[in-house]
Amino acid sequence: MEYKSPFSLEGKNILVTGASSGIGLNICKAVVASGGKVIGVARREGMLQEMTNELGFDKASYIHADLALDEGIAKVVDAMPEVNGVVCAAGIAKMLPLKFIKRQALEEILNINYFSIVLLLSQIVRQKKIRKNDNSSIVLISSVAQQIGTKSSLLYTGSKAALSAAGRVIANELSSQKIRVNSIEPGMVQTAMASEMEDVVSRESIDKDKEKYPLGYGTAADVANATVFLLAEASKWMTGQSLTLDGGRYKLID
Amino acid sequence: MEKNQFLQSFAEQFDETDPSVITFDTEFKELEEWSSMVALMIIAMVDENYNKKLTGADLRETRTIEQLFDRIVQNKPA
Repeated sequence: MEYKSPFSLEGKNILVTGASSGIGLNICKAVVASGGKVIGVARREGMLQEMTNELGFDKASYIHADLALDEGIAKVVDAMPEVNGVVCAAGIAKMLPLKFIKRQALEEILNINYFSIVLLLSQIVRQKKIRKNDNSSIVLISSVAQQIGTKSSLLYTGSKAALSAAGRVIANELSSQKIRVNSIEPGMVQTAMASEMEDVVSRESIDKDKEKYPLGYGTAADVANATVFLLAEASKWMTGQSLTLDGGRYKLID
Repeated sequence: MEKNQFLQSFAEQFDETDPSVITFDTEFKELEEWSSMVALMIIAMVDENYNKKLTGADLRETRTIEQLFDRIVQNKPA
């Protein structure tokens, strides 16, 4: 009998948001490398085209949409096939001390990092676009930030805390259909979004921060590999969890 | 962008430092209260008041408040 690795995504269709760059793009690559097919969603169509060119049209396709808008969510849910997995990796970050926070900034980040994900999953479930009783899996890319209280990170931290909490509730609601929901909470990962943040704080404080990571900063591929595990049969007994990936940053003490 | 208003807004980001010791010649990173948090507040203040995106490099490469002011004036809007 042929042995199929429980870590394989063969035969699975996976929808990935935030697919044009960073962690989302790396997840698309990892899904295909693990035998699955990916449907990428993002606002930047050129980059989605590059992704499908690179991964091959038989393995990768895309839906160009802005999930911050209800029309964008409707477009994705209408266009997507029935899937075995959904990965929500779209997100933005902004540093702002408490006293500078205004309604507009708060609404903008919550809209992208939280509302759009909840509303997308709501419609996917309502329209039965995720297979039931077939070990389907939803993975939310949250952040280790939601476990701590980094100065000036309130907008981002609040949105990620809401996302991780939503994951537990949705996991409970969908458990009877054997649809699993888990979140990943990465520490500092080197992406374009992180470089943008680096520019705000000083080089020295970044170097100092990096030293606090026993295994150094992470890469988008590190997060993508953990995502594959959560999408695969290998994790079929795991739901409602948050998986911290931080190179030992917050649990290992000198 | 009004120079004295900038100085006042800059001084407002400090809680312990007497505003009278904050002048255009002040080497702001030498102030005892200067910290990464104050730096983040200066960045947010410049964004809010002047719609300009100050970077870590802007703060690193300037010494006095006047130098920082000049650098912001030369910057393009965010």
